Amino acid sequence: MENGDVNVIYSVQHQLPLVMYIGQYFFFTGLSAGSFVISVIATLLGRKEFKPIGKITAILAPALLIIAPINLIADLEQPLRFWHLFLYYNWTSPITYGSFLLTAYPIMGIIYAIMVYTDRQKAAKVLGILGIPLAISVHGYTGFILALAKARALWNTAAMPTIFLVSAMVSGIGLVVIIAAVRWKWFDKKATPETRDQDKKLILQLATFMAYIIMLDLFLILSDILVLLTAHSDAYEAGMLILTGNFAPLFVGVEIILGSIIPMILVLGPTRKNMTAIVVASILVNIGVYAMRFVMVIGGQTIPLS
Amino acid sequence: MANKRYAMVIDMRRCIGCHACTVACKAEMAVPLEVNATWLKIIEKGTYPDTRRYYLPRMCNNCTDAICARNCPTKATYKRDDGIVMVDQHRCIGCKYCIASCPYDTRYVNPLKNIVQKCYFCSHRVDAGLQPACVETCPTKAMIFGDKNDTKSEVAQVLATNATVVLKKEMQTNPQVFYISADETVMSNVEKDINYRTEGTLIKIRI
Ligand code: SF4
Ligand code: SF4
Repeated sequence: MENGDVNVIYSVQHQLPLVMYIGQYFFFTGLSAGSFVISVIATLLGRKEFKPIGKITAILAPALLIIAPINLIADLEQPLRFWHLFLYYNWTSPITYGSFLLTAYPIMGIIYAIMVYTDRQKAAKVLGILGIPLAISVHGYTGFILALAKARALWNTAAMPTIFLVSAMVSGIGLVVIIAAVRWKWFDKKATPETRDQDKKLILQLATFMAYIIMLDLFLILSDILVLLTAHSDAYEAGMLILTGNFAPLFVGVEIILGSIIPMILVLGPTRKNMTAIVVASILVNIGVYAMRFVMVIGGQTIPLS
Repeated sequence: MANKRYAMVIDMRRCIGCHACTVACKAEMAVPLEVNATWLKIIEKGTYPDTRRYYLPRMCNNCTDAICARNCPTKATYKRDDGIVMVDQHRCIGCKYCIASCPYDTRYVNPLKNIVQKCYFCSHRVDAGLQPACVETCPTKAMIFGDKNDTKSEVAQVLATNATVVLKKEMQTNPQVFYISADETVMSNVEKDINYRTEGTLIKIRI
């Protein structure tokens, strides 16, 4: 550099505040929101062949969302004080809206699941439509948690909530495809060949839908990176960290190549009718999204601030 | 009369990089090993024999628009009327969102108490009419602390008659620790290029 050599003679280390519990929590809420949206779409379309998928996902959504906040509480330094979140709320903090959303959403998800299982179509549809904004906010706010922590260049972008939502859809559909495929392979034997064919077609359709959403995800990531690389110096550093730095293997290797491009080829390419390929693609997609959470949460904090 | 507004000015023309402020803070606030509420950053510029060291004492800026207080979900972090940003030790749940949000890396989890702490401008001493421990200790009187709304105070006069800068003004946090004659490189995050957190060393770097 023009200034000549610069050496840091003395400085102190700082803690890495948010660890992978947070990333895991993002991953689980994402799965939950994704499966809820799929379930509601299935319910709204109301066709008989969508029923099984609608049912699986209706259970998955609240179940995953009960696992998710356990990660949050485990991450607290004072887990027994978690109720302070409700008693001493602060409306300027995204965590506060999160704690109320995280309470409302599973309750509504459970009621919705009961409606779906007892076959009360009307109620399920209404609840489903009401639930979608809730599902979107419950996952969207996690994006805001990162975006509003303005210190970290990798997080502080308006695209963050959308990126989180879209990747949640991807991983949610991936999970649904895996479960539906397992059901189709081992637990669907009694069905007539026609229903089995129909189920298979449905799974393939879901996988294609997933591939389109992956494309959207890739577009968002590309725009995020382009802006990072042209913005201020910290943002540039953040962009380089994930493109060529310590987090490149995870970001480029796992998230982009293994978790997006390969699944897209498997689902849209010559193997598009092959169940095994589709399931492999769905597993890869979930690994990719998990890696994305890791890169965002941990990577975002590794750029020194002082 | 307007509210009190505590602020600090650190005059880098006087600082000799002796770490006395760090030690005073450690003792006064019982800051455990591994973490720091006040610390010193030292860099060296140039190639031997034409080198020079630059220092930068660091602590919480007790920002007027503190992002940590805005983002704290329980209002455990709050601002006093005189501008000091406090953490209520009984209310903090340790979510660490404030640490992630602070652009200055000034907060830490106390490993013994499992709650978040930082520099409070020694609020307990200030309330008793004393100066913060670091200010009192500084052998060259490089640190000046007081109510900047009181025009007769030393800090107000120093602020009025000197060119001062703050860290990361672009962050819109309105820091209340001002520096006179601080070097631009030592104020920036020069460690950016190396991932010292995961490698665990303080190191030579390329910029
Ligand atoms: S320096 Fe950081 S911790 Fe201190 S008041 Fe400002 S934002 Fe909060
Ligand atoms: S760690 Fe404590 S002070 Fe910091 S944001 Fe959470 S509750 Fe507030």
